[in-house]
This record gives sequence, structure tokens and C-alpha cells, in this order.
Amino acid sequence: MATNTKSIGIANLPNQTHKIVSRKGTTFTVMVVGESGAGKTTYVNTLLTTTIKSYRDHSKRRDALSRKTVSIDVIRAAFDENNFATQLNVVDTPGFGDYVNNRDAWQPLVDFIDGQHEMYLRQELQPHRDDILDGRVHACLYFISPSGQTLRPLDIETMQKLGSRVNLIPVIAKADTITPKDLAAFKRRIRDAINAHNIRIYAPPVESETEGVSERNQAMVDAMPFAVIGSEDDVVTPDGRTVKGRQYLWGVSEVENEAHCDFKKLRNLLIRSHMLDLITTTEDVHYEAFRSEHVSTDGRVVGSVARKDAKFKEEEDALRRRFAEQVKAKEAMFRQWEQKLIGERDKLNKDLEHEHSYITALTQEIKQLEDKLNKK
Amino acid sequence: MSMSDMRARRGGKKAFLFNMIIVGQAGLGKSTFINTLTNHPTIPKRQCDDPAQCTLEKTVDIQAYTVETDEDGMKMQLTVVDTPGFGENIDSSTHFNEILSYIEHQYDDVLAEESKIKRNPKFQDSRIHVLLYFIPPTGHALREIDIELMKRLCGRVNILPCIAKADTLTPKELAAFKMRIMEDIAVNEIQVFDFPCDENEDDDETMQENLELRSLLPFAVVGSDDTLLVNGRTLRARQYPWGIVEVENMKHCDVAQLRSVLLSTHVQELKELTHDVLYEAYRSEKLSQLEGLAEKLAELNMQAQEQQPGSV
Repeated sequence: MATNTKSIGIANLPNQTHKIVSRKGTTFTVMVVGESGAGKTTYVNTLLTTTIKSYRDHSKRRDALSRKTVSIDVIRAAFDENNFATQLNVVDTPGFGDYVNNRDAWQPLVDFIDGQHEMYLRQELQPHRDDILDGRVHACLYFISPSGQTLRPLDIETMQKLGSRVNLIPVIAKADTITPKDLAAFKRRIRDAINAHNIRIYAPPVESETEGVSERNQAMVDAMPFAVIGSEDDVVTPDGRTVKGRQYLWGVSEVENEAHCDFKKLRNLLIRSHMLDLITTTEDVHYEAFRSEHVSTDGRVVGSVARKDAKFKEEEDALRRRFAEQVKAKEAMFRQWEQKLIGERDKLNKDLEHEHSYITALTQEIKQLEDKLNKK
Repeated sequence: MSMSDMRARRGGKKAFLFNMIIVGQAGLGKSTFINTLTNHPTIPKRQCDDPAQCTLEKTVDIQAYTVETDEDGMKMQLTVVDTPGFGENIDSSTHFNEILSYIEHQYDDVLAEESKIKRNPKFQDSRIHVLLYFIPPTGHALREIDIELMKRLCGRVNILPCIAKADTLTPKELAAFKMRIMEDIAVNEIQVFDFPCDENEDDDETMQENLELRSLLPFAVVGSDDTLLVNGRTLRARQYPWGIVEVENMKHCDVAQLRSVLLSTHVQELKELTHDVLYEAYRSEKLSQLEGLAEKLAELNMQAQEQQPGSV
């Protein structure tokens, strides 16, 4: 191979790539899993600094309890930061772990993740594939209850099922429940349980060429599972600063204070430094694993089971809405016709009356003339 | 009426027997609370060091611990029944009956003892006088498991609902949470011990006290095994980087009031309710069941005799 000592400008390719990528934008999908009241909604809203996910409507809680199902809700939001457009999807799993009997509660979650892979696969195998909708889940945050003890059977089983299909990141929410000493012991017990049960969690790459980044990455890995505090409210600390935090009678716990919780580390992981790695791992590892199991050697999709996932529900809802609208439109049309006909009838009735009175008047006149004639 | 007068009215300085059972999921601070209450390491710390073991599905491991307490000069032999494992399974449907059976078993013992011709003078009454139910501080409302447990057990035992680890919630969140819990309790027709007071029988001070306690329900509990030096005093407290939560401070949580309810002011009332109302209800149900069974048995015997006319 000949080597070239003069530069021809190939080194400009990364800049071109940057322009292309920033113009195309990206899609990022995060799934949040955990019991109701674990702190998922608050955390997501804190992370994205907007109320993207609405808080639980307590007035409807009795219906939710009686249904006893785990459902999948997808919340979509478009973000535009410095002219870089991101389609952000948050997948919520209300009902998970909320009941006395949570047998197979993980099944809808697994079905959703596999369903997204399958949807992408089918689109990819199409002759025209320039406009693929990518709903694959890039990260799954599993919220562990801050019991301070260890993982529970449901946690173990669910994380085993999820870890083999998606980038699984365990998170301890409401971290301001646990004192720092107990928190360290809790994290250790969770890590031991994860290892003992062979749960695959997302391991961010540590080594980096840039100085200081490797240390930061290592610190990130050591802090897992991340203990986070969520809050959208601004409060004033005893020493006068205004921060996002929670105000107790005995002090203020701060979201962005690294001595209080690992929020900053998790935000870096999800957004600032490892978002690309999460996306590429999903594509190169999890999607490829799915693909190799579900594509036969002659290029057809095999082994897919008809699953009811969120996409179908959305389509179903859209169809139902269209149908309802059409019915309403037809009804409105019929009502208009009815009104018109009634109007016509009234008009005709009036004409009839008019004619009738005219006839009566004429008959009267005839009678009068007859009388007059008779009198003569 | 002073504290000592009230005590004299409610039973004086004899050593009392009082039994309580504490129910709630793992990690809610039940053992810590009991140890705080009794000021004694009554229930051993349950630390599971084998990660592979402690995630297996289990039954409720009912264990009783007895300790002597002395609160305001009132001596008590307090028995606390712990229920580790409750609600920990993927499917915890069987746990309610396990606890219910335990409570009914204690009633059966008393029933059997009462029916004896020669009673045992040393018989220890182990009927449960109060059930402390620990609700996790989700901040939302009651979960299915909370409702089911309280519904199934409120007819057999006095229930006092408590919010565990109440230092998770800000004051505003705590107030809203308490309100929603009491709403859920009312809607599901769960009978908890709500400090009943009678306008005709009780005086104003007692009524006032009971109404205040009723407004605190469910009790916000914070527990700590550690003591810290706060403003020159040694207190049970929890140390966070942003502040210190004092267990005995009435502004921080309701432990002080709950302790006096459980160890002095309402001990007699809880025992009376257990004996006069709950035990009696169980007794009549059980006896009429037995009567019904005896009748059925007599019927079957008669039928059997009719079918064999030759044998008499």
C-alpha cells in the first residue's frame, strides 16, 4: 500500500459525518420499569427538565387496581437542542409489580421489546426502506425499591428476562430514603445478587483516549446501581442557593449534588456521554441477536407470534377514532336532511293553509254572491 | 386529668401482658421500629448475606419475641410477633391466610382453655391485641396487597395502619398520602382502630386526645438503631448529608405519640376490644359452626340408621 505524505482532505470526513448526522437527527427510546410509586415519573421529568410524563391521576386509582394488568404506554416527545432534532420516546409500564399476584408480569415488557425488533426487521426486509420507523428500545431503567435489603424474586426474574434483550440499567430511586452508610451496603448486596443470578446489565465502555474520561467512566461503573433523587421543583437550601431538590423539615436534598445522589452520573450515561453507545449496542448486539434467531437463511421472518403490542393498540385506537368521526359526520348529515325536510313540510303546510284559507274566502264570496242572487 | 390518674383509671401499676403483631414487606423498618419502641434490641437484624438464597419464594416465617418494658412507671410484658417474608413472593396470595391462621390459632387456644373443667392457672394469653400494618411510602395510595390484608384481618384483630420510612416524604406529600390512605380505607369498608370515643361516657380531655390521635392516622413512622448527638442531647436519629431526622421529634414523625398509645394510654382499651368484641365474634362463629357440624353429623347418622333398618 502506498502512503501519502501530502494531505488530500480525507481527514475532513468526520466533519461531514457530523453535518449529516446532525441534519438527520436521531430517535432514542427509553423504557422505565418498576412498581407504582417507585419514582419513575418524577425521575423522567427531572432528567428531561420538562413534565413530559404526567403524574398519576389519583381519582382513577380504583379502576386501575381492579383491572390487574400490566400495560404499555408510549410517550413521544420531540426535542430540539442546538438545531439537533431528537425524537424521544419514553415507554411506561403501569401495573408492573402492583398486585398481590405478579406472576409473569414481565411478559408484556418482553413482548414489547421483541415486537419493536420485529417491526424494524420487517421494515428492513422491504424493497423500499428509506423511511424506517425505529421504535427499538435503547435503554431500560429498572427501578429497585429502596428497601435497603436486597433484590426481590420479581426483580430477579424480570431483570433476567430483560437483560438478555435490552441494555438494562438498574436504578435505585427515592435515594434520599437511605443514609449513605446503608446505601453503600445496599448497592453491594444488589451487585452480589446480580452476579449470583447471572443478570446481564449494561456495562459502559470504560477505556477512552481522552484523559480523565476513563476515570469518570470507571467512577460511573463503580457507582452502579445508580441511586437517584427526582424533583421538578426549585427549592432554597439553608445556605441560600436555589436548586432542584426536595424540601424536608430537616434540610434539603439536592438532585444535582453528587454527595446526595448519582443523578448526574446517570444523566451523563443516558444522554451526555454514552447515548451513542447505548444506541449502537442495541443495534449491533441485541438487534443482531434477535435477527439471527428470527430470519431464516432465505431471508424470511420466522418464529414471530402474533403479539398485541403498543403499535397495534395505537393503530386500533386511530381506526376507532376515525370510525367514530365518520359516524358522527354521517349523523350530522342526516340531521341536516331531517331539518331540511321538516322545513319543507312546514312550508308546504303553510302553503296548504294559505290555499285553504283562500278557498274558504272564495267559497264565502260565492255564498255571498249566491245569497245576493237569491235575494233578487 | 394527669397521666398518673389516667393510668390509675386504666389499670395502675400491675405488670401487663400485651401482644402485638407487626406486618409489612421487607426493608420497611419494622424491626428497627420495634427496637426503637422497646429501647432494646428485641428483634435481631435480618441481614441476608447469601445473595443466591434470599430471593427464593417463601412462606411467612412467624416468630414471637418477648421483652419487659417500663413506660411511665407502667410495667409490661410485651410480646411482638414478627412476620418476615410477607408479600415478598411473586405471588403472595397465600400469605394472608398464614397470618390469619396464626391469629385465629391464639383464639382457639383461649377457647379450648375456657372450655376446660380444670383450667390452667399459669395459662398465658397470647391473643394478639393490635396489628401494626406498615405501608410503604410510595406517596400514592393503598396497593392491592395493603387493602387485601387489612380487609381480611380487620374482623379478627385491631389494626393500626402506619406509614413506614416516613422521612421519604415531604410534609405536603405526607399529608396528601395520609388523606388518600384514609379515603381508601373508608371506601373499602376496612375497620381500623380509630380511637373511638363516646360523647356520653368520656370526658372532654379524653375525647380531645382521641380525636387528635385519630387525625394522625396513619401514623408516620421513622426508626433508627443509631443514636446521635444533637444539640448536646443523645437522641435516636438518622443522619443524612442534608440534615438529621429525630425519631422522637413530633414535628418529624408520629413515633412519640404511637409509642404512648402502644405502651401506656390505649393498652387497656385495645385489650378490652380484643376480648369483648373480636374474640367474642370469633367464639360465636366457631361455636355455631360446630353446632352446624354437630347437626349435620346427627342428620347423617339418622340417615345411615334408616338405610339399615335391620341393625339396631
